[in-house]
Amino acid sequence: MRITADRERCEGHGLCADVAPEVYELDDDAIVVLLHETVPSALERKAEAGARVCPVAALRVEQSVGA
Amino acid sequence: MRNVVVVGGSIAALTAVETLRMEDFDGRITVLSDEDLPPYTRVPLSKGVLAGRETAGDVVLAPLSEEVDLHLRTPATGLDTDNSVVLTPAGPVRYDGLIIATGARARRIGTANQAERVLRSYDEGLRLRDHLVRASSVLVVGGGFLGMEIASTARTLGKDVTVVDLAPPLDRLLGTAVGGHVRGVAARAGVRFVLTHGGVRLLGAPFPTAVETADGQRLEADLIVSAVGDVPNVEWLAGSGLPVAGGVLVDERCRVSPHVVAAGDVAVFTTGDGALTRIPSWTNAVEQARSAARALLHGDDAPVYRPSRYSWTEQFGLDVKMVGAGDPQGEPVVLDGSLDSGAALLAWPDATAPQTVVAVNHPTPPAKLKRLLKPVAQGALV
Repeated sequence: MRITADRERCEGHGLCADVAPEVYELDDDAIVVLLHETVPSALERKAEAGARVCPVAALRVEQSVGA
Repeated sequence: MRNVVVVGGSIAALTAVETLRMEDFDGRITVLSDEDLPPYTRVPLSKGVLAGRETAGDVVLAPLSEEVDLHLRTPATGLDTDNSVVLTPAGPVRYDGLIIATGARARRIGTANQAERVLRSYDEGLRLRDHLVRASSVLVVGGGFLGMEIASTARTLGKDVTVVDLAPPLDRLLGTAVGGHVRGVAARAGVRFVLTHGGVRLLGAPFPTAVETADGQRLEADLIVSAVGDVPNVEWLAGSGLPVAGGVLVDERCRVSPHVVAAGDVAVFTTGDGALTRIPSWTNAVEQARSAARALLHGDDAPVYRPSRYSWTEQFGLDVKMVGAGDPQGEPVVLDGSLDSGAALLAWPDATAPQTVVAVNHPTPPAKLKRLLKPVAQGALV
């Protein structure tokens, strides 16, 4: 699974990082940073939950082919 | 419990479903939504969607991958708690556990023959966008976050913009210091503010083209938009026996009855002083939905709901983030920057025990803002 973050849309609310600190972080400008290029399978559920809670829908989930 | 029905199709419903699965509920989940679109965020409706930059693909939230039976265009029309069924036009839907997340709709002040313009759903956003493109002047009734965000987008599009309200816009939400600052920026961007001592009446049908204030002023515009609050969607619960008082009344764990919970804009709860309150915000919908889903599964063992009280608005180039009690009184303590310089971190009533912290164009993540609050202020509401 891959997550894509639209840093232009990100407003720095940090709800993703609250839900899944292993996957999302905010940088010094409070803009989202992804900690994994490909999300480890153990973190997939949390990564999805973090994406879903974004109020500006700046995070997109791409399921791996065949998953 | 093997069969949970979620009524509603927005972030509270989505979060409730996700929480059930995270808590290892492996029974059946049915979601009944009256919307055409799968769950989406309303946050960009007054901004990117209204400006014409964004469409449905930009606002729809990451879909649920878990097995969930999502029924769109399926409103709940009634609830029979004796037989544990939700009534819909497509037939009754049985539940063992029910999550009420029917949200709220825009409040209207016009008459039945008026096509009053409001902004709450994606469809309303598209309609308003089309009207806004053709208008050269806009009058926004109501200067809360939504009304002011609409005003901001309309100014960006070069429209002549007036905001009318009973009190100086934003003061009641952000306090006079930050409210006054934002209004100053909006006024310099060309927004005209009109205060009225009493309600306004929309004139013209089907589309209103003027408002008349209680003190007799008549204000005209090509497009009139009402942003005067929201009304919880509880009509379908009439006769169900569930407690309804300006929303569905929930306890400290978001429960309505042992097998029924509620979350989001539709839920009303008792604060410490006995008053009833609703918190119609994104953050609250998320947090209440988590709490409600856990209470449905675990009853008294579920944690008590504690609102984190985080809200924000983006308008006129200002990014305002607030944690803690709303409407902070008096002058803030400046923790960093200054309003005059454009970026500030502010606290009320003092720096040692803040009850409210506001960041204006200041890159402090909300999690850090929350840590600045005096601990007892968090959740002091319940």
